[in-house]
Amino acid sequence: MTDKDFDLTRRSFIDRVMMATAGAGMAAAAPWAVSAASAASAGADPVKTNPVRLGVIGTGDRGRTLIQNINKTRNCAVVSICDTYAPNLAKARQWVGPTTRVFSDHRAMLDAGGIDAVVIATPLHLHARHSFDAFDAGLHVWCEKAMARTIADCGAMVTRSQAANKVLQIGHQRMFHPTYLNALKRAQTGEIGSLTQIRASWHRNNAWRRAVPADATDRQINWRLYRDSSAGLMTELATHQLQVGNWFFDAPPTRVIGSGSICFWKDGREVYDHVALIYEYSGGRKFIYTSLLNNARYGCEEQIQGSKGTIEPELGRIYQEVPAKVLALQRMQKDVARGHKRTVPIGGATWFPELPVTTPGESLGWGEYDETMLQFEGFGAAVRAGKPLPGLLRQAYQASVASLLGEQAMDRGEAMTWPTNLVAI
Amino acid sequence: MSIVAQVERFVAMGTRVELHVFGGGFADAVIAARRAIEGVDDALTIHRPSPTTAVNDELLAGRAAAIDDPVLIEALIAIQDVHALTDGLFDPAIDQRFGGAGWGDVVFDPRTARIAATRPLALDFGGFGKGFALDRACAALRDAGVVSACLSAGESSLAVIGEHPLGGGWPFAIPHPLVDGGVLVELDLIDEALSISTTVGAGTHAPERAAMIRPSDGAIVTAARCAVAVDRSGGRAEALSTALLVADDAGARRLLEGGPTRRFLYDLSHEAAPTVDVARMHAA
Repeated sequence: MTDKDFDLTRRSFIDRVMMATAGAGMAAAAPWAVSAASAASAGADPVKTNPVRLGVIGTGDRGRTLIQNINKTRNCAVVSICDTYAPNLAKARQWVGPTTRVFSDHRAMLDAGGIDAVVIATPLHLHARHSFDAFDAGLHVWCEKAMARTIADCGAMVTRSQAANKVLQIGHQRMFHPTYLNALKRAQTGEIGSLTQIRASWHRNNAWRRAVPADATDRQINWRLYRDSSAGLMTELATHQLQVGNWFFDAPPTRVIGSGSICFWKDGREVYDHVALIYEYSGGRKFIYTSLLNNARYGCEEQIQGSKGTIEPELGRIYQEVPAKVLALQRMQKDVARGHKRTVPIGGATWFPELPVTTPGESLGWGEYDETMLQFEGFGAAVRAGKPLPGLLRQAYQASVASLLGEQAMDRGEAMTWPTNLVAI
Repeated sequence: MSIVAQVERFVAMGTRVELHVFGGGFADAVIAARRAIEGVDDALTIHRPSPTTAVNDELLAGRAAAIDDPVLIEALIAIQDVHALTDGLFDPAIDQRFGGAGWGDVVFDPRTARIAATRPLALDFGGFGKGFALDRACAALRDAGVVSACLSAGESSLAVIGEHPLGGGWPFAIPHPLVDGGVLVELDLIDEALSISTTVGAGTHAPERAAMIRPSDGAIVTAARCAVAVDRSGGRAEALSTALLVADDAGARRLLEGGPTRRFLYDLSHEAAPTVDVARMHAA
């Protein structure tokens, strides 16, 4: 891709975000996206003349993906990288410039200075500590979701950022995706009626286990499978979809019940490989969630169900609650349009089975561009302004709390009500 | 220049409804027609709380009821007409739970809109409601000046307004319910309604589909039959096709003689019926 091509796709991507977020309703529902897109749109200079200097802590697969997205931005640059595992650093070097400083200890990176903010892509249980250290060093923080291993640490990250007067932004790229923004806009205009249920799933058919090199430990590489470091499917996958649920319902849940098990991958892991939960929202609304690791048929999706239609944002489709057409009448209508009259064969069943709709639906519009770029441009703008993107942290905080509360509901086998002692944002 | 058509598709009366209105400028009329059908659904349904279920609660408890829903009142007035028209073979008060109960046990006074019954019973407007709903939709469309339209409620209940947009009648072919590609009868309709009732074919084994009951003896009709009726009124057409389906031989003959070119009954009990066989059409 040439620089010109890249600039065009970036431009069209931002234009679509701007279009999807236009209007008072969306300004209130997705203010972070409005701010990020406005800032990105206003920046005329394509060259990184004075970028926000980022130090990336954690250069595993996710961290390296983030570096590639940061490289696409106009206002951020990776100037330092850090990882305790040398092979990760070696792989990351190909995506950064030769002057980028390399560290094996995050404190050394913070002490070395020369950065405005850190990007944290480490195992979940380290997010809080790395964030605290960054705030103490006077730096802003961009952190991968979920926020932290415990609800208390999630809250502490918020309070520490507030006390330090530094930006804390959590990685929820769907919040910047034009398809999701467009879906929310269409839901807000009433196209699918009253939203009463969201059915979400993230189904995969693999062990979620990585090969462990000779110079590493299983807990180091497969930290997602151990309870000390992760809540497994809940924090690594469900968090994204719980954010979508809270966002579309415009509220956090009131209660959650659930069941979790290690049902298929009995390989010594500690986290569930099957989870099924129901999150209750005010007014009787429900978010029904399943995630498992031995069947990929239904993949990753959120089915946002209203009285007049359904939105499936991962598929990028919107479906109306309209019955299938009567083919004979459809043909009659086409005949009339072309001036042709013939007998209409009709007289079939009155009843029709309530099978899943098989119509293709209408496209919500998919972006060919990566929304992760925009969330970093938004982060860069927030760092420059010294003010977080509005509304984003509350969404992220509530999504992380919801995922951890779900874990508690499954562990205890009892309904968990939404905490009343959360930090105010 | 092609003829402008407006189509409205929605679910009501437990089935899919399509309104095809020809000629421009009838957007509001189409919506009014849809609202008319949905209004009938709301008034006559027994599958969720409705004016009809409220009345049924009273009748089942042995009490009289005052009706304030205008659609239900109009439906009951029409029921009186079709009950007489079908020699009592169409009966909205038939219920397997109450053997022998029927419309004859109902006392309905249209002037006071009060209804009572001499024994516990419940009303069920199946076999009438869709046609009645189409009548009201047609009235809404005609009031708005529509002169050419085709309305379908689940394909078994149809109504047309005026002539086909290209002139002449609306040509329909009623498929044989058991023979792929077979046709029972072809009919041209102008300002008429068509109803098809059958005990065989697609949809007859639908979940919770009510059995066809003969009012005269309370027997469940199991014979393989298909009845077709055409009438100016959708409610009457539907009641007639229902009545033909449940009628004994003598009753069917009387009904068929009342409309020899507009009422048809097919005995499909032995084999695939011959197509467009006039001789058998009139033999129950």
